[in-house]
Amino acid sequence: MAQHVFEAMGTVVSLTLPKRMALPERVALLERMNAADAVASVARCFAEFDERYSLYRPDSELSLLARGELSLTGSSDELRSTYAASLRWRDETGGAFTPHRPDGVIDLNGTVKALAMQAAADELLRSGFSHWCLNAGGDVLCTGYQPDGGAWRVGVVDPADRSALLFTLCLDGTRHAVATSGSAERGDHIWSATAIDRTYLQVTVVADDIETADVLATAIVAGGPTTLATIVEGRPVDVLTVARDGAMTATPGLNRALATV
Amino acid sequence: MRTRATLSGIFASVAILVVGWQAGSAAITAVHSSSGTTGANSASSARGTTPAPTPAAPAAPVSPATPVTPASPVAPAAPGAPGGSFTGTSVSTQYGSVQVQVVVANGKITDVKALHLTDDGGRSVQISNSAAPILRSEVLSSQSARVSTVGGATYTSDAYLTSLQSALDQAGL
Repeated sequence: MAQHVFEAMGTVVSLTLPKRMALPERVALLERMNAADAVASVARCFAEFDERYSLYRPDSELSLLARGELSLTGSSDELRSTYAASLRWRDETGGAFTPHRPDGVIDLNGTVKALAMQAAADELLRSGFSHWCLNAGGDVLCTGYQPDGGAWRVGVVDPADRSALLFTLCLDGTRHAVATSGSAERGDHIWSATAIDRTYLQVTVVADDIETADVLATAIVAGGPTTLATIVEGRPVDVLTVARDGAMTATPGLNRALATV
Repeated sequence: MRTRATLSGIFASVAILVVGWQAGSAAITAVHSSSGTTGANSASSARGTTPAPTPAAPAAPVSPATPVTPASPVAPAAPGAPGGSFTGTSVSTQYGSVQVQVVVANGKITDVKALHLTDDGGRSVQISNSAAPILRSEVLSSQSARVSTVGGATYTSDAYLTSLQSALDQAGL
C-alpha cells in the first residue's frame, strides 16, 4: 500500500491507496501519477475548508464574522449552511454539541474537519478511486477493501497508554467512519451548552458517515452517559466508551465490529 | 545538524514503535490462538458440551421497549453452578424472532447478548442500541492482527510524530 501524508488543520492527514503489485512500468507510472493527483485534490479540500473556517487565520471568513467585520447574513452560503448543520447537531444532541463558544464566537471546528474529509472522499470517488482509507488526525473514513480483499482494520489508541492499541475494528463495508473524541491529546478542548460531564475519557463512534461519527463522539464526551443513552437509541451508530476509571461500555453492533484475529 | 539529530531521533523511536508493536502482536496472536473460539462461536460450543443448559434470559419474550442488555449482574445461582455461555431458544415476537445468549461466570450472569433479532422480512434488526459494559479483555483480544490505520482522539502535528499512525505511515505498509 502507498501512504500519502500531509499536514492540514493543525494535524496530519494520511491517505492510504492500495498499490497493485507487478504492474508493467508504464501502468505503474500512470498509477503513481493518478495517485499524486488524488492526494493533491484531497489536500486541496482540506486547505479550502481551513481557509474559510479556521479561527487561527485572521483572514478567514469565520474570523471576520467573529470580529464583527462580517454579518451572518452577509456571509457565504457555504458558511451559513455549515453553521445551520451545526445548529441541527446541537438540537439533536440536546446541546451537548454546540457551535457556540462560551465567549459567543461561532466555532465550526466540530464539523469542519469531518466536512473536509467528506469532500475529499467525494473527490476520490469522482476520480475513480473506490478503495482507500483516509485518516485525519485520528478520525478515519474508509471505503472498499485492502489489496488482499480484507476489510480495513482501524486500531484505536488506548487513552491510558498512547503507544498501545485498545481495540481494532473491521470496516467491512457496512460502516465507513470511525471517530474518536477525548481529552487525552488536545487537552480539554470540548465545551458544551450543557454542563460538561466528566465520566468519559475517550469515546469512539462508528457510523455511516464521518460527520455523524465525529459530532456524536464529541457530544458523548461532553454530555456523558445521559447523552450516550439518548443518542444511540434507534440510530445506526456503534459506540465504545472508556471512562476515567478504565471501565468500558459498548453497543451490540460494536461488539460485532471488533476484529477477531 | 540539530534537525538531523531530531529526525534520526524520530526515526529511531518510530522503529522502536514498529518493532515493539510487532512483538506485541506476535505475543497476542499466540495467546489468542490457544484460547480457541470467541463470540458467537462460544455459544455453539457451550451448547454442544454443556448438558441441558437452562435458557435463563428469554424467559420473557423481549419487546423493543425492553432493552436486553443487563444493567448489572443478576443474583448468583447455586454454588458450583457451571460457567460458560448459554443460548436460549429463539422466541417469536410480533417484531420478529429474538434469541439471547447468557454468559455465566462463577454462578453469576456477567453478560446477556442479543444474538438474533429479525424483523418480519427476516432482516436483522437491533431492537435496542444501548451500550452495555464490556470487559477490557474482550476488546483487547481483537487487536492481534495488523491494522490499516490508527484512530484516536485528534492529535496535533507534533503529537503525530510520536503516534502509532506515524509509525504506520513510515512503514508504508
